[in-house]
Amino acid sequence: MSNDQVAIVGYAQSQVQRHAEQPLGELAVETSRRAIADAGLEIGQVDGFVGSAMFPTAGAHAAIDGVSMVTPEWLAQHLGAQPRYSAGYHGMGQIPGSVALAVDAILAGEADYVLMHRALHNPAGSYHGNPTFEAGGFAQWTAPQGFFGPLAMIALPYTEYLQRYGASRSTTAAVAVEARKNGARIPWSHWYERALTEEEYLAAPILADPICRYDCDIPVDGAAAFVFTSAERAVDLPNRPVYVSGYALAQPPPRRLALHWPLDDIMGAGADTVRNLWEDSGVGPTDVDLPQLYDGFSPLVYFWLEALGYCSPGEAHELVRGGGIDSDVPGALPVLSGGGALGNGRMHGIPQMLECYLQLSGRAGNRQRDATIGLASHAAPHVGGAVVYRSGV
Amino acid sequence: MAQRPLPVPDEQSAPYWKAAAEHVLTVARCSRCGAYSIPISAECDRCHSPDPDYRFEPVTGRGTIRSWTVIQQSFLPGFDDDVPFVLVDVELDEQPDLRMIGRLLDGANAPRHLGDRVTVAFEDLAPGSSVPAFTLDAT
Ligand SMILES: [Zn+2]
Repeated sequence: MSNDQVAIVGYAQSQVQRHAEQPLGELAVETSRRAIADAGLEIGQVDGFVGSAMFPTAGAHAAIDGVSMVTPEWLAQHLGAQPRYSAGYHGMGQIPGSVALAVDAILAGEADYVLMHRALHNPAGSYHGNPTFEAGGFAQWTAPQGFFGPLAMIALPYTEYLQRYGASRSTTAAVAVEARKNGARIPWSHWYERALTEEEYLAAPILADPICRYDCDIPVDGAAAFVFTSAERAVDLPNRPVYVSGYALAQPPPRRLALHWPLDDIMGAGADTVRNLWEDSGVGPTDVDLPQLYDGFSPLVYFWLEALGYCSPGEAHELVRGGGIDSDVPGALPVLSGGGALGNGRMHGIPQMLECYLQLSGRAGNRQRDATIGLASHAAPHVGGAVVYRSGV
Repeated sequence: MAQRPLPVPDEQSAPYWKAAAEHVLTVARCSRCGAYSIPISAECDRCHSPDPDYRFEPVTGRGTIRSWTVIQQSFLPGFDDDVPFVLVDVELDEQPDLRMIGRLLDGANAPRHLGDRVTVAFEDLAPGSSVPAFTLDAT
């Protein structure tokens, strides 16, 4: 439990683009320098580095530090820092996991100022395509049968959802359209000034039925960094602090075939994640005025809406169809006001975290909303996690 | 033409693939408590024995569809000639929530519903290499 004892005090976000001109490591270094300066600090003061270096591709791409992924250790080295503390988070809920590492390091006195980063890479060629002809180890149980990659992974529980609750995939257009509407307002987004229409969504090719192209976030090059410190130190720094009220990371769900996500696993183990989140943060769903839900695949928004208790199981599609997540409608849940992954690009849980930070620190510019308590979720409820943030004064 | 990925049996899975080559579906079963496990692991999910002495035992190959997807674009090039194809998430009769995933060989246009009954079938990919799939039971 962090109890608002640790705060975010600065940030930087790179342009999110299909292919950056500079190598990923350079992008991460440059973004981190900006975040440290934004917090009013010098590199020499940053004594903690945390992050996740997952390169989330099913393709035959090598994970090379500084090229296709960036570890906290690599980043510290290339910034010329000499941290007392560095740690990487390796679970699926990378952003809440990294925030947890930052909070714990500061509360334990292992570091005073912690830089958390995430750098995502879009390699040349097919992102998930894999020319493998041999399936050994875990893959022997799925790849020979043609079950491979994250689209089939999410398509199975999505079909379960649609069939069980009599929902239509055409309703999900509203999720993608809402994400892209908000992403189109964000200058660093890959989708800046490029909204999506329902007609475009419905005309898009189906990849793994019922998943179509616009249900998937687009692979990008991009980096983001945040600076954390104690609530006590935060008040002496230039930006309004945003406190970490609490977080939860998923407990191990039932053991399954690789990438096999039955709907009942998502919602069953997800309920544990959410219960832990409310306990740890001391708030409940109605206290949160800025929920930011993970949308790397659009059906995940349904799953999070239901897991977090914003509607009953099976009702999220009706909530969405009725305009319930339109960030421009007073009283609706602005769950994609930051554009999410569908509206920014495959930055994993960064858009959700960044929107919480920008809105709660009063730095959202012409997108500024009136919000005090934010929630940023990442991945799926049964394998990911979430963080609750509170605005400082 | 790209070929589909072939399973590479290891010491633990060799009996499974040997039975599959003879068109017999087996599932790893804990010798301590009798629980079936998909996929096989080092420990038993039910009794948590660190030494489950798993045996691949023949099962009926009958089960119930819990979900499906129609793959229109496979990331494995060996399936380019097979798209669109259906993958089904099947709960096997032997044990509640014992689930495996395979192709449904009835074609992408065959009507399917949650709860439909299926039976295992095998696709022969290469000499000695067959993988399990499913077909819809006649109603
Ligand atoms: Zn057992």
